[in-house]
Amino acid sequence: MKPGMLSNFLKRGAIWGFIALELIFFTVAGEYLSLSEKAFMDVDNMLLLFKQSAPIGIIAMGMTIIMINGNIDLSVGAIYAICAIVLLDSMTWPIFAGLGDMVIPVAWVLALLAGVALGALNGLIVWKTGVDAFIVTLGSMLGYRGLVFMYNGEQPTSHLNWTLVDFAEAQFLGLHTATWFLLIVTAAIWFLMNRTVHGRNAYAIGDNREAAVNAGIRVGPHMMINFMIIGFLAALSAVVFYSESGSVNPNDGELYELWVITAVVLGGTKLTGGAGSIISTFGGVLAIQLLRKGLAHIGADTETVNLVIGLILIVVLFLDRQLNIKGKEELKV
Amino acid sequence: MKIRNLLAATTAATALAGAAFAAGHETMKIGITQNNVGVDSYQTTYEKAFIAAADANDAVETVVLDAGGDVARQIAQMEDLIQQEVDAIIIWPTNGEAVIPAVRKAYQAGIPVIVTNSNIAEPGFDFVKSFSGPDNITQGARSAEIMCDKFKDMGIENEAKVVHITGQPGYTTAIERAKGFNDRLPEVCPNVEQIDQQPGDWNREKSQKVMEAFLVKYDDIDGVYAGDDNMGVGALNAAKAAGREGIIFVGATNFAVGYEAMERGEYWGSIYQSPVDDAEAALQTAIDVLKGEEVPFLNYFDTPKITQDNMSEFTKPVF
Repeated sequence: MKPGMLSNFLKRGAIWGFIALELIFFTVAGEYLSLSEKAFMDVDNMLLLFKQSAPIGIIAMGMTIIMINGNIDLSVGAIYAICAIVLLDSMTWPIFAGLGDMVIPVAWVLALLAGVALGALNGLIVWKTGVDAFIVTLGSMLGYRGLVFMYNGEQPTSHLNWTLVDFAEAQFLGLHTATWFLLIVTAAIWFLMNRTVHGRNAYAIGDNREAAVNAGIRVGPHMMINFMIIGFLAALSAVVFYSESGSVNPNDGELYELWVITAVVLGGTKLTGGAGSIISTFGGVLAIQLLRKGLAHIGADTETVNLVIGLILIVVLFLDRQLNIKGKEELKV
Repeated sequence: MKIRNLLAATTAATALAGAAFAAGHETMKIGITQNNVGVDSYQTTYEKAFIAAADANDAVETVVLDAGGDVARQIAQMEDLIQQEVDAIIIWPTNGEAVIPAVRKAYQAGIPVIVTNSNIAEPGFDFVKSFSGPDNITQGARSAEIMCDKFKDMGIENEAKVVHITGQPGYTTAIERAKGFNDRLPEVCPNVEQIDQQPGDWNREKSQKVMEAFLVKYDDIDGVYAGDDNMGVGALNAAKAAGREGIIFVGATNFAVGYEAMERGEYWGSIYQSPVDDAEAALQTAIDVLKGEEVPFLNYFDTPKITQDNMSEFTKPVF
């Protein structure tokens, strides 16, 4: 066995092992503790798992690129809320009154453009000022959230369109609409990161920014594109979710950035950048939703969910650290 | 579900299933998804009271869930409860409109839905069996009356200035109480002016900060209306710290801290709303619906005015 192979395997496989563990635990515990006569691994329940993972999952794919880049985006929750408002509110704008249900795709496009624009603004500031993305997006998180409140005060923005709800609730080949979006996004971002120059550059920049610059990679525009991608995905997540719900609270999406980052870190992406995998992020997202679902299934307190996820996150980071130290030791001669 | 004596339930369910069916009363499985249990003592006491009431009733088994204030999580919980095939679902909506499609799903699955504490928006009424909870518009109106009556006693009903701290933005209870208060105050005290209104998010610390800002901004504040006592006491603390006296504090949902402040004479009045009544009313409504009894669509329980004058008639709230 080559040195580092075991630790690599552990790192890659850890999240799936954890998911398998969760499934086994909740299936067994569910037999004794659940009110429901249905098994936890019931097909419908697993289909719901994918669907319910979508809001966080879609954003997490974008966050993986950003974090591989060595950046972070704290503003995704606020972008999510703004795009939700654009989506729902634009459907009631008088200029679109004549469109009937054709207003739906128009509203989608507007919401997605809003997301891209807000992401581009983040990226542009990071690029042109050179200020750390953490600080820039911390500011835009507060600023964008302020915009949300300015838009409609403390009132929810609502527009219930049953055609839209029916579309969002539809199941195609057994999978919910939201699941399709999650799978397509995962596949697309996987392709971007593993089969394109842009993806390879993302790893290179995260690993060693100076070397990347010396190698002729245009780091600034590259990062701006990534911020536009995550803005787009935050918007897409809002489009998918609010198509089915029809009302957005001004504080919706708060703490989403933390859940998204948790999912990405659980999936093994390094906070320092340079390493990470889309498929593992997908696992991280599923693991969180599985935990929420499973603990509810066996009737644990909801508060325990946060506690357990917090503990697991620390364990994951600790393991990651230990495994990496081992890898380094083997390098020493 | 932590309430169920778990093993007993499962074994009993299998062993006694036949007997139970024969006797004609199968246990009712009722699921509840609450708004945000940890956020304040009202919701915490509600959950405890709900569990206690369900425990005391042998005919009922419950799945108790909490959405943590997150709409997405609440919708997921609705889907889970439908998937688990419970007999009835009680929902404390995080957003009165966003949950409508999820409620419709339960309706389409043939599961009766009871809304508790704060109602969902009108387009969802078709999919709901009953609303069990307080009448928040009346509560806001009653708070306005309490404040106006006090101003009249003090003889300042023509010059008084009021600030208003509302609950969590987007939350139906917050909106309805604010509306009840804002509509009623000009009716009973047309010359009282409301000079500002800001959200305190049902949170004492947040409300205290909001009030600190008000105190800096306005030299003359005669009355404070807070959407609940938790926030009212936060505002009171800010006023005490700033050494501003003579402000009339009126809240809603009388909390123990509000009751104590009333005993000390620092806090004028509130609306007496018991989370225990609220929880028991919700469970009872669900049971009545499942038994096929007639239940009024708006199933309000009474929430009387409480002030320093009549507080001896009420026991101190446990939360």
